[in-house]
Amino acid sequence: MSFLYLHLQISQHMTNENKRKTWTQPWSYREGTIITAAILLLGFMVQAVSNGVILRFAAFPWNLLAGLLFVAVLATIFVIWQKHAVMKWLGGVKAALPAILGFTLLVLLMGFVKQDVEPQSAFSRLLGLTHLVHTWPFILINVYLLILLGIVTLKRLTPFNLKNVGFFLNHFGLFLVLFSTALGSSDMKRLSMNCYEQQTERQAFDESGNAVESPFAVQLIKFNIDEFRPKVAVIDNQSGQVIEDGGKAQYEILDRNSFDLLNFHVEAEQFLETSGKVGDNYFAVNEPGSAPSAKVKVTDRESKKEVSGWICSGSYAHQPEALKLNDQYSLVMFLAEPRKFSSKLNIQAKSGKNVATTIEVNRPFKIDGWTIYQLGYNKEMGRWSNLSVLELVRDPWLPIVYFGIFLMMGGAAFLFVTGKPKNGGTEHVA
Amino acid sequence: MWLEFPLFASIAIACWLAASGLFFTSGKKVMNQLAAVLSLAGTIVLLIFVVILWVEIKRPPMRTLGETRLLYAVFLSGIGLVSYLRWKYKWLVSYSLGLAILFLIVNLQHPETYDKTLMPALQSPWFIPHVIVYIFAYAMLGASSVVALRNLFFVPTEKSIKGPIQMADNLVYLGFSFLTFGLLFGALWAKEAWGHYWTWDPKETWAFITWMFYLVYIHYRYRHPLEHKKAMGVLAMAFLVLLICWFGVNYLPSAQNSVHVYSE
Repeated sequence: MSFLYLHLQISQHMTNENKRKTWTQPWSYREGTIITAAILLLGFMVQAVSNGVILRFAAFPWNLLAGLLFVAVLATIFVIWQKHAVMKWLGGVKAALPAILGFTLLVLLMGFVKQDVEPQSAFSRLLGLTHLVHTWPFILINVYLLILLGIVTLKRLTPFNLKNVGFFLNHFGLFLVLFSTALGSSDMKRLSMNCYEQQTERQAFDESGNAVESPFAVQLIKFNIDEFRPKVAVIDNQSGQVIEDGGKAQYEILDRNSFDLLNFHVEAEQFLETSGKVGDNYFAVNEPGSAPSAKVKVTDRESKKEVSGWICSGSYAHQPEALKLNDQYSLVMFLAEPRKFSSKLNIQAKSGKNVATTIEVNRPFKIDGWTIYQLGYNKEMGRWSNLSVLELVRDPWLPIVYFGIFLMMGGAAFLFVTGKPKNGGTEHVA
Repeated sequence: MWLEFPLFASIAIACWLAASGLFFTSGKKVMNQLAAVLSLAGTIVLLIFVVILWVEIKRPPMRTLGETRLLYAVFLSGIGLVSYLRWKYKWLVSYSLGLAILFLIVNLQHPETYDKTLMPALQSPWFIPHVIVYIFAYAMLGASSVVALRNLFFVPTEKSIKGPIQMADNLVYLGFSFLTFGLLFGALWAKEAWGHYWTWDPKETWAFITWMFYLVYIHYRYRHPLEHKKAMGVLAMAFLVLLICWFGVNYLPSAQNSVHVYSE
C-alpha cells in the first residue's frame, strides 16, 4: 500500500512532466516505474513458466566469468554512451528510486510470507513466494540495481573528485556486497557433522541432507555445557499451565536464596546442580542423566501457610518433581538453559594438518578455507549430551563481501560527519 | 532491581516534566539553562539505573522489549538535549522528553519479569555495539519523524521551513549512518555466530526494509530539495516501517523462531 502511495507521489511530480509523452527525453520517474514494473512482471512470469523451479547461480569458474563479463560490458557501454541521455538517466535518482522501491516491494513480500518453508498454496509455489531469494524477479531486480549502481559509480568516478569519496564508498560498497553475495552464493558450502564423544567422524551432511565425505576427520574429545540455574514457576494443578500475571507467564531464576513469586515467598534451602533421588530426598551425584534439584520452603504471603519439599527439573533419565503448594497450585522447576557450550576437538585435514582446538558458539575455528562452527547438541540429553553437531562453512567470496561491507562502513562514517543534501537541501539543484 | 524502577522513573519523569515546562513558559536564558540541567539530571538518573541493572543481572540490559524501551528513553532524552544545545530547538527537546516519558510510563504499566538468561549465540562482543548503535539510530530517526510530523501539521511557510527541514535532514543522516553501522555489525556478527552474514531472518528483512525507506528519503531530498511536504510524508512513513521492524515483527507469522524476537 505504502509502496503505491509513494509511487503516486513521485510520478505526479511536476506539472510540465505530465504533458511529456512517455519515452521522450528527458526520462523521469514514469519510465523508471515502467521499467521496474516490467522487470518484476517478467520475473514472475518466467518464474511461473519455469514451474516454480528454485534458482541457483552456476558455480566457479562460471560465476566468476559471468561477473567479470558483466563488469566489462557495463564499463564498455558506459564509456561508449557516456553522454547519451539514457545513460545519464540510468545514473540518476529518477531511475534509482523506482528500482529501490521495486526491490523493497519484493523484500516486503519476504517480510510477510514466511521464507524457506514448503509453499502452502499452488499459487505461492508457482511464483516461488516462499523462496523469493532464489526466484527470477529477485535476481532480475538485483541485476538491474547492480547496473544502476555500477553506472552511478562510474559516472561519479569520471572525472575523479575528492568530494565524491563518501558517495563512492556508499554506492560502490553496496555494489560489491550485492555483486559478490549473488555470485558467491553458489560457491558457498555448508556441511554439518554429528560428532560423538571419543569417536572420529569422517562423514558430513550437505544442505539437502545427503551424506558426503567431510573435508576433515574430526575427533570429539569432550563436549562441555555450562548451564544457567533453572527457572521455577507456579502452575495450575488442573491445567498444568504456568500462572500468568499481567498477561505474562511468571518465572523466577533459582540463583538467590529467597524471592517472591506471585503470592508466594520462596526460600531455597539447598540447591543441587546434578542430583539423584534416594527415598524422599535428593543427593548430589554426578552420573549421566542426573538432574538439578532444590529443597524449597514456600510461604503463602496471605495465609502464611508454609510448605516445604524438593523440586526437580527431571531429565531424559529421571522424572521431574513438583511441590504441591495447595489444592490449586504447584511449584515446578524447568529444564536448565545453556549458558555456553563448547567442543574440544582434534581435527585432521586432508592437507595433512592436525590440530587440537576448542570451539564454541561465537568462537568458530578457521582451517584450510573452512570455518568450523559449534552448532548444537542433543537437546534432550542437555548437559549429558555426548553428541556435538558442528557446521562447516566454506565461503571463498567472503573477502570481497567484507571489502564491500568495510567500504559501506566508511561511507556511513562519511554520512555521519559530512552528510547533508546539497546547498542545505533547500535550493533546487538539478 | 526492577523493584526500584518506579522510584528512578518518577525522578526522571519529574525532572523532564519540569524541564519541558520551563522551556515552554520562560524565555529567559537562565531558565532555559536550568531546564537543560534538569533534563540532563533526568537522563543521568535513568542512566544510573541502567548501570546498576546491568551489574545486577550480570548481562547487558538489551534483551527484552522493556529493556530496549528503557534504553530508548535514555538515548531519546539525551539526543533531545544535545540537539537543543546544538540547534536551540525548544520544541524538539520537549517532544523527545515527552516520548521518553511515554516509554517510561509504558514500562511502569507493564512490569515484565526480567529474564536473566542469555542464549549462547547472543554472548558475543558484537552484542553491545550492535544494539547500542541500533537504539541510537532509532532514537535519532524517531526524533526526525517528530520533526516530520510537526512540519506536516504546522504548515510552515517556505521561508520558515528551512530550519526544521535541515534539522530533519541532520537527524536522518546521523540516524541512517548508525542504522547502516547496526546492519553491518549485525552481518559481521552473524558470520561469527551462525556461519552466514545474511539469512533473511524476518528481523533482518524488516531492518533492511527500514533501511531502504530512509534510503528513499535521502535520495528524494537530494533530487527534490523543494518538495518538502512529500519528503516529510516519506519520512513519517519510514518511521512507521521502523516501528513494525522494532515491535511488529514479534507478531508476524513469518517471524516464528527468529533469534531477534525479544522475549517478554
